[in-house]
Amino acid sequence: MQDTVLIVGAGPAGLSAAAQVAGVGYKAVLVEKEDVLGGAPILSGYARLVPSGEWARDAIGRMVKRVEDDGNVTIHKGARVTQLNGEAGRFTAKLSNGKSVKAGAVVLATGFTHFDSVNKPEWGFGTFPDVVTTTQVEQMVTAGKIACPSDGRTPERVAILLCVGSRDRQIGREWCSKVCCTVSANLAMEIKELSPKTQVFIYYMDIRTFGLYEDRFYWKSQEEFRTKFVKARIAEVTAAPDGRLLLKGEDTLVKRPIVIPFDLVVHAVGMDPNMDNPEIAKVFGVGLEKHGFIERGEHYTNTCGTTRPGIYSCGAAYGPETIDDSISQGMAAGARAIADLHGLTRKAS
Amino acid sequence: MAIHEKSLIEPERLLRHDNLVVDGVDVSGHWNTMITPRTITDYDDDFEAVIQRYPGAENVHRCWQCGSCTNSCTMYAQNVQFNPRYWIYAVRTGLKDEIIKDKDIIWQCVSCNKCTSICPKDVRPEGVMKALAHWLEDEGHMPKSPSRIFDEEFTEQIYARGRIEDSLVLLNFLKKTGQPLVPQWLRVFGVRLMQYLPVGLGMRFARNFFIPPRTRSWGRTGEVLRQYVREQKEATHG
Repeated sequence: MQDTVLIVGAGPAGLSAAAQVAGVGYKAVLVEKEDVLGGAPILSGYARLVPSGEWARDAIGRMVKRVEDDGNVTIHKGARVTQLNGEAGRFTAKLSNGKSVKAGAVVLATGFTHFDSVNKPEWGFGTFPDVVTTTQVEQMVTAGKIACPSDGRTPERVAILLCVGSRDRQIGREWCSKVCCTVSANLAMEIKELSPKTQVFIYYMDIRTFGLYEDRFYWKSQEEFRTKFVKARIAEVTAAPDGRLLLKGEDTLVKRPIVIPFDLVVHAVGMDPNMDNPEIAKVFGVGLEKHGFIERGEHYTNTCGTTRPGIYSCGAAYGPETIDDSISQGMAAGARAIADLHGLTRKAS
Repeated sequence: MAIHEKSLIEPERLLRHDNLVVDGVDVSGHWNTMITPRTITDYDDDFEAVIQRYPGAENVHRCWQCGSCTNSCTMYAQNVQFNPRYWIYAVRTGLKDEIIKDKDIIWQCVSCNKCTSICPKDVRPEGVMKALAHWLEDEGHMPKSPSRIFDEEFTEQIYARGRIEDSLVLLNFLKKTGQPLVPQWLRVFGVRLMQYLPVGLGMRFARNFFIPPRTRSWGRTGEVLRQYVREQKEATHG
């Protein structure tokens, strides 16, 4: 029992945690509620990943294959943990597929849920077919064609609206989703590559392409791919008489109202807490922080911890996170779980 | 009644007809005052590329509107209407009218290049200012400068004959710029020159050459003087 780690969620963080646990010679049990492994990058059909530029299906595909080929990893697809008993060193989990798993530690790599744009009705998602989300554009890029869903035409002009479901007290999202600026700058470049004549505008409040993403994504998108960044938070999206979309707002840099026609409007949707988090908190007995993400334990010496001993977390379950950092944190959580199990074994002997 | 809020509106956005009758109702004067909206209803996607073809403005697309140029600007300290950041933005979004509106101050850039030194994105705003001044001239929004008229005359003569004729270049330049052959300043210069030229002095020199003048009432003074000197010499040396 004390040589097994239960990992919940098979996205980048969970796959990384499983590989770490198995790599050290411990056993990993990976439980994934969907029928495919890979998490959001695979389920939502992401195109090329930031910052590697590798296709999601290749990069995440390698991570999936690594755990599938590992004899120390047991995988349960299409299953959820319905009950967890015991304590650090001797947990027993009941799965929705009727099976039972004994494990010494649990890693919650339960990730996030994309913000649902219908919660910002003034921006037209669900009302106008040509208002889409970054996830949908990722899928278009993967399919190799940028088109307006209404009639399939190639858009002359695309607007990407940042902070949709982020930094918005109106809808109770008081966090920055961290990745959308970089993802949007990258998407603008991908749109340009597929359709060089299309003009891409990004409407922003601030640009938060942190760290090394600044010049590699933001500057490159503006300077080499001619993406135009306009400082305006859009008030509403309406329809023009000719069937195009009208973007209304205030261009804060020139203090003037704008009403600009666009063919395609893209919501850069933020990262919500996993919509199952209330259930997860109940089943695993862990706390949620005030926004609804998994609450972090004291970070300095209880790294990757939660509010319950023996249960660890990583990646976007804690809050908005990049794929690369989720992978690193998955590894850290796996290592932390093994270290604690090793400590328990030593104490017992 | 006057519309007091008019003071808050830029004058060019106020429309007023002195005489107007609508559906038989006389609404002349302030009764028909209309205000054109400030809303930006479209971008001109090509304007940026037009300006970028002028030397100095190649990097205008790099601007991220931090305002360092305006902040450091020598002219902005004198006149808050002089705002390079704003004009760069107008170039990027194609707000041509905004550039034309400010045509009388854009040329005031003193090329101190503080903006270019401080710009974190290497936009070179000073070059953009020059490019805008040239664009305004090319598009006919500004009268041709004298140097441009001179250049045109010069070039035309080269085209026609392969060489220039100095006097013709000057003559035609003066004609095209509406300047008289003998401008006012040249006339004043001539008159003053004549006034202060030492003509009398020269004539006196000439007369003295032929008739050397004598000191007035000299009489026999010379003989007396000569006598005195001789006596003094004999008294000393014997």
